[in-house]
Amino acid sequence: MSNYVLLNNSAHKDLRVITTRSESYGDNVMHAMTFPIEFRDVQSSYPIFFCKDSESGQFYPAALFGLEQNQNLFLTEGGWDASYIPMMIKRHPFLIGYQTDPEHVGGKKPVVSIDMDNPRINDSEGEPLFSDNGEATDYLKESISMLEAIHHGHEHNKGFVETLLEHDLLEAFTLEVVLNDGSKNQLTGFYTIAEQKLHELEGDTFAMLNKRGYLQAIFMAVASHSRLRPLVEKRNALIL
Amino acid sequence: MTPDQKINSIVIVGGGTAGWLTAGIIAAEHSANGTAINDLVDVQITLVESPDVPTIGVGEGTWPSMKSTLQKMGISETDLIRECDASFKQGTLFNGWKTGGNDAYTHPFTPPHSYASTNLAPQWQKFRNEVAFADAVSSQNALMFQGLAPKQISTPEYAFNANYGYHLDAGKFAELLRKHCVDKLGITHLKANVIAINSSADGDIESLQTDTEGHIAGDLFVDCSGSKALLLGEHFEIPFCSRSQFLFNDTALASQVPYTNSDDPIASSTLSTAQTSGWIWDIGLPTRRGIGHVYSSAHTTEDRASEELLAYIKATVSAEAASTTSIRKVAFNPGHRAKFWHKNCVAVGMSAGFIEPLEASALVLVELSAAMIAEQLPANRQVMDLVAKRFNTKFLYRWDRIIDFLKLHYILSQRQDSDYWKDNIAASSIPESLSELIDLWRWQSPWHRDTGHIDEMFPSASFQYVLYGMGFETQSSTTVRRSDREADSAAAGLFRENAERTQKLLASMPTNRELIDKITTYGLQKI
Repeated sequence: MSNYVLLNNSAHKDLRVITTRSESYGDNVMHAMTFPIEFRDVQSSYPIFFCKDSESGQFYPAALFGLEQNQNLFLTEGGWDASYIPMMIKRHPFLIGYQTDPEHVGGKKPVVSIDMDNPRINDSEGEPLFSDNGEATDYLKESISMLEAIHHGHEHNKGFVETLLEHDLLEAFTLEVVLNDGSKNQLTGFYTIAEQKLHELEGDTFAMLNKRGYLQAIFMAVASHSRLRPLVEKRNALIL
Repeated sequence: MTPDQKINSIVIVGGGTAGWLTAGIIAAEHSANGTAINDLVDVQITLVESPDVPTIGVGEGTWPSMKSTLQKMGISETDLIRECDASFKQGTLFNGWKTGGNDAYTHPFTPPHSYASTNLAPQWQKFRNEVAFADAVSSQNALMFQGLAPKQISTPEYAFNANYGYHLDAGKFAELLRKHCVDKLGITHLKANVIAINSSADGDIESLQTDTEGHIAGDLFVDCSGSKALLLGEHFEIPFCSRSQFLFNDTALASQVPYTNSDDPIASSTLSTAQTSGWIWDIGLPTRRGIGHVYSSAHTTEDRASEELLAYIKATVSAEAASTTSIRKVAFNPGHRAKFWHKNCVAVGMSAGFIEPLEASALVLVELSAAMIAEQLPANRQVMDLVAKRFNTKFLYRWDRIIDFLKLHYILSQRQDSDYWKDNIAASSIPESLSELIDLWRWQSPWHRDTGHIDEMFPSASFQYVLYGMGFETQSSTTVRRSDREADSAAAGLFRENAERTQKLLASMPTNRELIDKITTYGLQKI
């Protein structure tokens, strides 16, 4: 379970965060939310699909790391074996939360929280959060700017997904993977860009998608499908 | 009309759920949007509604068929839930029907597990004292008893984990249909009172004379004017066939009761609780419950029926709700017209007939009638008589089957606590067709070939649920059957599969209230 509290430089001055990637720190996840702003980096390593949030049913784009629950095929003895790690993985143990903004009626302002039950947290190992005089370290500053990017990413995803749905550009997708030992894995609950619909779009719609910055994201998501084969090969390599 | 007169213009009289559903179902099949292709023309649909007659706004239950009906019309399920105060219904939960005590059983919408190939009823008979039939063969029974939803927020519109229909506010439903029919399906909506009916020489209706919209001419007239049956009854004088000799209930006391707390559970089944001379319906909408007592006026008084209704509200809601609720009385004659389609006029809804809402047959009959009109829409006046004849045969058959199925609930009861229950098992009150089936089912359980038609309203599965839910016993076969042997070896596995699926659903389905709240906040996805 998680236990998020607001981060502050007195209560948390001695905290350190272990940045090693391993199953013991909860990195054995099958997929993670991603955002168009990082699609360029994500698509070079992972297939990008869309899935539904189980709490709200809302779609979001996700980077795929494995073929079944709790399987991350990029996780090795030596850590996470890829050139880019998506922001929603790297953000741990931090979370961006929202507080009522006293300056604006009904407004919310983003605040940084930390998960005190996250196994990465300790006071001897890893990256310190604050310097001796209580200032944020470079590690914390980077983490905060990443949280800000995630905050904007959430907003961007909302508009992106709404636009895709409005133009019927998402479709359900079932992936049958037959491994070298003959066993079958079926990936369900994922959605992808409806390429046929994409090719049938009118010029005006293309222009709109381009103007809003969605067109590039759409084609990068389509291109990312080529990362499925290396993913399956990674899985096959695990067969003795 | 001349025999070769084309049927291009349909006029619907009445703007309740029957009128708008009929309009929408016909328009979903026959473009009325002015999108003429080559020399083909659109069917014109006009709905004329009296501005003075209020629609009846009680809560209503639908069948699962409403999902595809609405989907075909292009209505979003999210809009339905948000705008019609609608919730999910997975069937009916019957209380006190067997003995008048604390007995309860369900008639779920999902047929028994593997019903297409295997009849589990004879296999279940061996365990009849250990497990309820619906629980052994269906995972929906447990969902219904626990008030869980039939799907999750991530399940697309109209898709499901367990089949469902709706509970909804009929007034709001008619309004949603009206908006959709007028804005999206190109239906002309006129508000006027029909003051006279103009006939042609051959007796067909030529036009309706109205107070504010002049003459409205048409090729086919659909009577959705409610129980007064303005066209089929008042104008054509098609006789009414009372069926009160079989089904005694002829009066309803209806009330609307708010929840004590706004987050109280919403039942995911219609609750039907037997009384001394009738039964009480309890329909959970998101904002209120619709509770009513339908009874036989020959067996009890209005005061007595009202007392029982208030006692129920007091016991299941609160004493305060019982003391503040207002009750509306609706009297009806159970039965239907001798025919439904006469000349160029067809009746749909209460103008065709009405019977107690024990299995929520009212709206589904509207859907089936409108679907047949849409599918079989006569090309010209000449062929209309043939279509009318077939329509009448089909729907008279359907009324008879509804009466059989409703009556089944009464004749299986062990209740002897009033003349009502005693009279209900008198041989003279049981249709012969039903008596025959009961004799048959003493020796063999209901199965696919028992029913006469492929599009039967109540399939054999429904009969299984009610028979075995009420404790009916079918003798086991005394000869060896190959199919039994096969079922015997498959049964253990199927019962186990059903139990596993039940556990999975119980662990993953939200409550009906939780799902409705989420749909209000997020909406359902279309894919």
